[in-house]
Amino acid sequence: MAFRPKRALAVFWKDFLDLRKNVGLLVSMMVLPAVMVLVPIGVVWTYVRTPDHADLRSVALFYDPTLPLGASAARFLIDKTLTDWFGMFLVMPVFVPILIASQSVAGEKERRTLEPLLASPVTAAELVTGKSLAALVPSVAITWTAFVLFCVGVDIVAWPLVKMPLMPNALWTFGVFVIAPLFAFFGNGVAVLISARVSEARMAQQLSALVVLPIVGMVGGQVAGVLKAGFGYYLLQGAVVLVLDALLLWASIRLLDRERLVSRWG
Amino acid sequence: MSGIHVQDLGKRFGDRVAVEALSFHVRPGEVFGLLGPNGAGKTTTVRMLTGLLQPTEGEATVWGHRVDRDGEPLRKVVGLLTEQPGLYDRLTARENLRFFMKLHELDEAAAWPRARHYLERFGLGGREEEPVGGFSKGMRQKLAIVRTLVHDPKVIFLDEPTSGLDPESARTVRDAVAELASEGRTIVLCSHNLAEVERLCERVAVVKRRLLAMGPVRELRHAGQALEVRVEGEAERFCVALAQLPFAPNVLAEGPKLRVMLADDAQAPDVVACLVGAGARVHSAVPTQRPLEEVYLELLREGRG
Ligand SMILES: Nc1ncnc2c1ncn2[C@@H]1O[C@H](COP(=O)(O)OP(=O)(O)OP(=O)(O)O)[C@@H](O)[C@H]1O
Ligand SMILES: [Mg+2]
Repeated sequence: MAFRPKRALAVFWKDFLDLRKNVGLLVSMMVLPAVMVLVPIGVVWTYVRTPDHADLRSVALFYDPTLPLGASAARFLIDKTLTDWFGMFLVMPVFVPILIASQSVAGEKERRTLEPLLASPVTAAELVTGKSLAALVPSVAITWTAFVLFCVGVDIVAWPLVKMPLMPNALWTFGVFVIAPLFAFFGNGVAVLISARVSEARMAQQLSALVVLPIVGMVGGQVAGVLKAGFGYYLLQGAVVLVLDALLLWASIRLLDRERLVSRWG
Repeated sequence: MSGIHVQDLGKRFGDRVAVEALSFHVRPGEVFGLLGPNGAGKTTTVRMLTGLLQPTEGEATVWGHRVDRDGEPLRKVVGLLTEQPGLYDRLTARENLRFFMKLHELDEAAAWPRARHYLERFGLGGREEEPVGGFSKGMRQKLAIVRTLVHDPKVIFLDEPTSGLDPESARTVRDAVAELASEGRTIVLCSHNLAEVERLCERVAVVKRRLLAMGPVRELRHAGQALEVRVEGEAERFCVALAQLPFAPNVLAEGPKLRVMLADDAQAPDVVACLVGAGARVHSAVPTQRPLEEVYLELLREGRG
């Protein structure tokens, strides 16, 4: 069975067109990026507004008892916020493809459009590729756009204190362009696999969304001072997700056969 | 090899048998009906013949493509109208059709005139740019039929094309199918609607998990189709003898009664002679003549279990 890129692109074309007309989904897709961008800007802004507040110093010392006396606690906390927030930011590239892919795979079953589709020459691999592209391309585009807005916003609010652009820094640039797509691939893979097994988009979304929990949990650990985020830390996360991606890819190709998809109804 | 050849086809889901020992043959240009009640295995059969489900027994070819292993080339020559129209509601009629043209890797410029032709014929002309979500059930069904035709398939499988439609929409869909038939297309029509099958199909197979009867609709309907014989004692024991007849008739036995399906009246004396030869004491032998509905219902009753 040959892989025909044209058929995969046809699936991508249709799903993308459908997404553009799905106002409800578009709105729910925009909420998360908005939060991801506005919250850290708000936090940075708070530090910048009262840089000399005594309490800031105690907070900073909680995270780093070796903080030199002369160093600005506000500046330290801004840097820490930016580093920690990247972990949270990764929720977006995982979650947005889950929203899209659950709709596009389980949604096809729910609306009974999958059977005519499977009766066409498209192969399971082409179908998965097209649908994955339709989830990944918008998710990565949204992540990158949010990143740009985030950089601009942070630099504007931090300027009065630091007098130089903080963003984009090496960690974020590498993270957003290399690690985030790996996470997006992961979210998509989970959603595709789960969607192939349940019959409702909502259920697929809810189940897939559980994978966000470990990510949020780790950010919690960072805030609690248990985990110390940094370049190596995120690189390790990326590596783990890369391995998971490979497993998911293997599983999707193995498990998504026509008969199973059709037979899940009724 | 054109046409559809089905030999001992069977499908089981776990230990539930959905279809068994199904054999039939559809000639090119023929409109063939699969008639059976709910759960008879019509959809399962069509899914096997379009490469969506793997048969668990037997084999079938559709235009020379084995259904169990030639999935991709097979799906290029078949068109399937599924029980649910399965259209994308947010997309327009044109976008829905375009998607399938792309999936079939058609040259869209060349494929559109055919699609437009059917849109016009089915009264959907001028509605191409509207989202399908706003279409009536009948319009959706007709659009779905157009979609099954975009790649000019050799054979079209229509799974209950009029179920769930009001009488008027059902009629327009039936007219649409009649149009396709008049173009000499090969069509397999699944239905539990006798009038529909009678109007549209040349030959019909009555199925209920397995094949109960098959033949031209007019033959199923008319006399000579069956000879009802009453013998003394259990009729069952003469089935073997009857199977030895050169025309090997289909036989159903119930108590002292035998129902012997015949291709024509002239076979009746042979049946009686055979029974007598096998030692049967024949009380009566009556050719039956009944409306299709009764034939059908009786077939189903006898085919139970
Ligand atoms: N995927 C499946 N898993 C298990 N059993 C199935 C599956 N698909 C069909 N069946 C069973 O196979 C039998 C035949 O079903 P099928 O849908 O082919 O009948 P049908 O003739 O199309 O009926 P209807 O007129 O209701 O559409 C039924 O008993 C059904 O429950
Ligand atoms: Mg059915």
